[in-house]
Amino acid sequence: MSSDLSKTIDKVLADTRSDESEVRLATAPHQHDFPYDREEEAQVTRREFCNFLGLTSAALFVGAAGFAGKAGLDARDVPEFVSAKVEGAQALAPGSSLNFRYPTTKDSAILIRTLDGEFHAFGQKCTHLSCPVYFERAHQRLECPCHDGAFDAKTGNVLYGPPPRPLDPIKLEVRTNGEVWAIGREASTGEHSL
Amino acid sequence: MQDSTNQNNPRTVRKLVGEGRTAVAQARMILLVMVNVAQLWILAATVEAALAHRYSALLPLVVASGICFVVTLTLIFWWRPASRRFTSSGYVKR
Repeated sequence: MSSDLSKTIDKVLADTRSDESEVRLATAPHQHDFPYDREEEAQVTRREFCNFLGLTSAALFVGAAGFAGKAGLDARDVPEFVSAKVEGAQALAPGSSLNFRYPTTKDSAILIRTLDGEFHAFGQKCTHLSCPVYFERAHQRLECPCHDGAFDAKTGNVLYGPPPRPLDPIKLEVRTNGEVWAIGREASTGEHSL
Repeated sequence: MQDSTNQNNPRTVRKLVGEGRTAVAQARMILLVMVNVAQLWILAATVEAALAHRYSALLPLVVASGICFVVTLTLIFWWRPASRRFTSSGYVKR
């Protein structure tokens, strides 16, 4: 029997065509220990496919509910804003930008000094799908590289592209010694809290 | 030959019933796939609404997804084709 098996293995390794019955015959002594039916395993029945679709439907429902629930909870949890100095803002040249973290170290933000010398700051997450926006010097606007969205550098309003709302503005305060402080952040429009 | 095409012949009736059941089962499977596609679209819309802070749209979207899930369960577990009224011999149960 073992010689049959080794012959079949040799045949397979030599890339000679061997049909299913030959393999079954050669592996007959092991069928009891490993009852694997290749023909049956290769098929998916209609019932199995329907059950798979049912599981997919459940997963999609749980995903939608979970995402909505988390977004709702996050919206209720409005943080208390603490003033924070934006390091390096004094040295920022007009027409350039600087990244900083506000209100927490997890939230990236962007400070822009426009050509007229004014400071403006926004949360760096694009309002479309949360890609980080960057300051495009040539056109003096904020752009999202993911889906070609663009925002006004002074107001944060959408200029074009898929973003549904403006960027979240960060309130700034320029103190007497020229230091720039972030003192709060707003949700850009309308519905912020549930 | 004439007898085999007769609609009253039990064998012919069984064959027709079998074909009908297959068609209904396939239609059910297609419906399930369509519901899954709709749910996928709803999930994408939910993600976009959450990121855009359009919170008022979230609840309707979740409810719509839930309805799709109930429809899926109905199609899989609780819905049976009308041809089940036929017995294995091909006759309608009285």
